[in-house]
Amino acid sequence: MIILTGDVHHAIARHAEEIYPNECVGLLLGRIAGMRTEVEDVFPAPNRWTAEVGLTPTDADHSQRDRFYLDPRDYLRADRAANARGLDVVGCYHSHPDHPAVPSPRDLTGAQAIGSGSRFVFLIQSVHRGHAAELTAWLLVDDGARFVAEEMR
Amino acid sequence: MAVTVTIPTALRQYAGGHASITLPAGSVGQILATLREQYPQLGKQLYNDQGALRSFVNVYVGDEDIRHLQGVETHVADGETVSIIPAIAGGVMVLHGERCTVNVRYGWKECCYAASHALQ
Repeated sequence: MIILTGDVHHAIARHAEEIYPNECVGLLLGRIAGMRTEVEDVFPAPNRWTAEVGLTPTDADHSQRDRFYLDPRDYLRADRAANARGLDVVGCYHSHPDHPAVPSPRDLTGAQAIGSGSRFVFLIQSVHRGHAAELTAWLLVDDGARFVAEEMR
Repeated sequence: MAVTVTIPTALRQYAGGHASITLPAGSVGQILATLREQYPQLGKQLYNDQGALRSFVNVYVGDEDIRHLQGVETHVADGETVSIIPAIAGGVMVLHGERCTVNVRYGWKECCYAASHALQ
């Protein structure tokens, strides 16, 4: 179960709309307690994708409209901000501009550093013609082989 | 003479649930080797079968990526912090070579169907 507290849902939607038509990215700050991941705040990060950080040579044909990259320095900043508040980085979010809120094969490839079986959650915010649409939650399972949808409220 | 190694949330399950681990000072390579000895499952997440750090694993000493220092030979002084940081990336699905948008070749419903099908 993923619990979004306070303004988290709206904060992600606003970020995704602001960055549209590009993909946005950010981290989720909160607590993991047993099977519950509670998200208390978001840490918006710049989308630092460039062709140089692409996952394959064909990425040169893409842009931040269909690719995102979370720079480790931004993860480090988020981690420090979380720790200062007694929280942890418990997940990440990104947007799918004009695309459904389901993980892509590229999302799966780019999530391999997380390992599977943890409660680290991946949120995907769909943006339809500039307006935030569906927000979905996913966990990485089977040794990183696939995402499964997770209940969220 | 000790340093602190911070473990990202998602990998703590492989490190006894610890958020940070105190280890003797030394090079990054020595510190990570000790970490692997203590937590073999964590080691498998950090290193590939050839014994090299996985490309999506970032190691920072203080605020600096060891790739911009001396790599695993980077010396970590007493009191410094080594941070293990996962790389995260992604991007929307490309459908038949075309980006999937409502404005071009494929409609929203077709996009949803294709994306869901690809997920299975």
